[in-house]
Amino acid sequence: MSKMILCPTRGGKGSYPNQDRAIAIAKERGAEILFLYITNVEFLGLTAAPKLIDIEQEMDEMGEFMLAMAQERAENAEVKSSTTVRRGQFRKVLAKVIEEHQVGTVVLGSSAGGTGVVTEEYLQTLVDEIGAKTGVEFIVIDQGEIVNTYKP
Amino acid sequence: METRSTIHSLTLILYQRLHPVKRRNWFFALLFLIPLIFLLPGEATALPADLQQEIIEVVIVGRVVDSQGVPILDAEVLALTDQHNEPLAEAHSQEDGTWVLEFREIPFHQLRVIIEHPHFQSQTHYLQSDELSIFSEDDIIQIDDITLERQISAGFWVATIVFVGVLLLIAFELLHSTTAALAGVSIIFLTSYIGGAINPDFFIFTYERGLSYIDWPVVFLVMGMMIIIAIVEGTGIFQWLAFQAYRLSRGRTWLLVLILMLITAVASALLDNFTTMLLMTPISLQIGLALGMNPLALIIPQVLASNVGGISTLVGTPTNILIGAFAGISFTDFLVNQTVGVVLALLVMGVFVLWFYRKEFRQQSRGISPKLYKKLEENAQIEDPEGLWKSGIVFILVLIGFILGERIHLSLAVTAIAGATILLIWLKPDVPHMIKAVDWTTLVFFMALFMIVGAIQEVGLISLAAEGMSRLIGDNLVLGVFVIVFGVGTISTVIANIPLTAAMLPIVRFLTVSIPGAQNQVLFYALSMGAAMGGNGTLIGGEANLVTAGITEQANTPITFKEFLKIGLPVTYLTLIIGFLWLIFHFQVY
Repeated sequence: MSKMILCPTRGGKGSYPNQDRAIAIAKERGAEILFLYITNVEFLGLTAAPKLIDIEQEMDEMGEFMLAMAQERAENAEVKSSTTVRRGQFRKVLAKVIEEHQVGTVVLGSSAGGTGVVTEEYLQTLVDEIGAKTGVEFIVIDQGEIVNTYKP
Repeated sequence: METRSTIHSLTLILYQRLHPVKRRNWFFALLFLIPLIFLLPGEATALPADLQQEIIEVVIVGRVVDSQGVPILDAEVLALTDQHNEPLAEAHSQEDGTWVLEFREIPFHQLRVIIEHPHFQSQTHYLQSDELSIFSEDDIIQIDDITLERQISAGFWVATIVFVGVLLLIAFELLHSTTAALAGVSIIFLTSYIGGAINPDFFIFTYERGLSYIDWPVVFLVMGMMIIIAIVEGTGIFQWLAFQAYRLSRGRTWLLVLILMLITAVASALLDNFTTMLLMTPISLQIGLALGMNPLALIIPQVLASNVGGISTLVGTPTNILIGAFAGISFTDFLVNQTVGVVLALLVMGVFVLWFYRKEFRQQSRGISPKLYKKLEENAQIEDPEGLWKSGIVFILVLIGFILGERIHLSLAVTAIAGATILLIWLKPDVPHMIKAVDWTTLVFFMALFMIVGAIQEVGLISLAAEGMSRLIGDNLVLGVFVIVFGVGTISTVIANIPLTAAMLPIVRFLTVSIPGAQNQVLFYALSMGAAMGGNGTLIGGEANLVTAGITEQANTPITFKEFLKIGLPVTYLTLIIGFLWLIFHFQVY
């Protein structure tokens, strides 16, 4: 199995415990960690105000900064890490990054206060679709604690 | 064709005015002229019939107004006698409510003048034979203004339900604002044409009448400003300013937040608050997180400042653009009459923010690591230095144009479009990209909204609301300012302020005319303050609030409704109090 661990994250204080746990798992396994930020500007869809600038570019830069912060945490824990910022639908981007980087394990944060992307149902779909196809393991973390593991 | 019609008219006038003897001579002259007329290019017309129709002996003129004295457009005016089943004459009222009944024969018997309009009760005015005897001395009779009382039709209810429905759809984000407004317009027109054909009671207004409610100068001003804003803000200036604010504050977060608030307030006054927050939120989030503090203590105060900062200029908020165009308030008027009030409101807001987030600001900043500092610096670079100075020069010229242009009645829309064009020529940006920068959905939203507000104006909802407010306020101008500032401010906390302002404009105009001392337009400024400051009340109160929350959500730092409410609501009422007191003092309304 590949030793690359993928940690999709949005950054921010709410993500720190989960990032730390993902880093700890990577250290435990002697694996490299890849932090992923997916730019999503769907929230602009319901406003009538004009979008006069390339907000995706701004969001990409914000994502890079969030990942730089995550990378700093990994460095402090002496875990090798890399980052990638992508645009698109979460499920599709995830599948693509798993394939490109030969990821063995995906560490996902559970739905933080209803704002995250991972619900039980959604996760099952991910495992069915991506897990079955690529053989990756999914670890779900909530507030830094492992709450579920899915192995295909 | 037009030339020939003019010759027809001249011929006719000569024919009518000349003495019978001279007419004979002219008759022969005309015999030569008429064939010449038919030699002119264009279609042939039946001259004799036309000639007959244009012979007007006498006219009756009048004016039709509603119960508030506002002229009624397009009322049908019919003149009938007991001797004729068909009207002797008919006309439609003009923009100023005037109508002219033209008679080809002098009516000497009693005459009934019936005035009808789908949204008013019909009115009949009788002209007795002694009044009509004036015609023996004069060609014209002018009758007093006729007042029509409103009637609540089925169309009234449809337009009202559509307006409220659109507001709710926008407020609860069930549909995109533009889609909601377009759906509303479609229902109004379908009801008018299909419903109106089945039952005239459903008629609201015609398509042409609906289009006449669109305020094109507003649409063009918004469009011109969109291009200018896209170029100026795309240079990276605001991200750079935010980073400089961090450097200047040297880790003192209380100072940092005040500088960031100042930047967003000024940027919102000169450009627009939505785009300003789109740019300021990501960089502020990065600074806040890197400093190890709650980034919302930097970001929420900026949203609050952006909603208030825009009030001081005509282009600062969409609501000010609407108010300026409707009430004829100039760019300079806004600056002179609002800026001090806005600065005072910002000062009070700043003090409250420092108190509210005192725990966050007391914490010692841990400083930013060299790696993150470098990354932050990268993200806050001026991306297009050449574009920045060029667009800066043009933008200053546009502002000067806004101020000086009013002396020669130069529309702001013309100045904005000219400025945008100069930038396009000088900077040579990717034109398709710049055309994409014009947010057509917003412009369509404005157009659809104008028609919906036109519909509720047409059916009488606005008049009813104006009468209700007039009864409540009476002649008390202080109460009027109070009701507008706090009433609109409170409603704006949950209802989108653009449609609310558009609907309030005719009401405020009525109050401005009816309340003694209100002719200095203080109520329009009260509307401007209320609509913008109210946007701070809740997370859904303003577009800038929503987009900021959308961005912070993407960094797992959500702004909850409750969290925003805790600071937003007190700030709203504090600033409304300052705004109210400023207007009362500045306009000496006491």
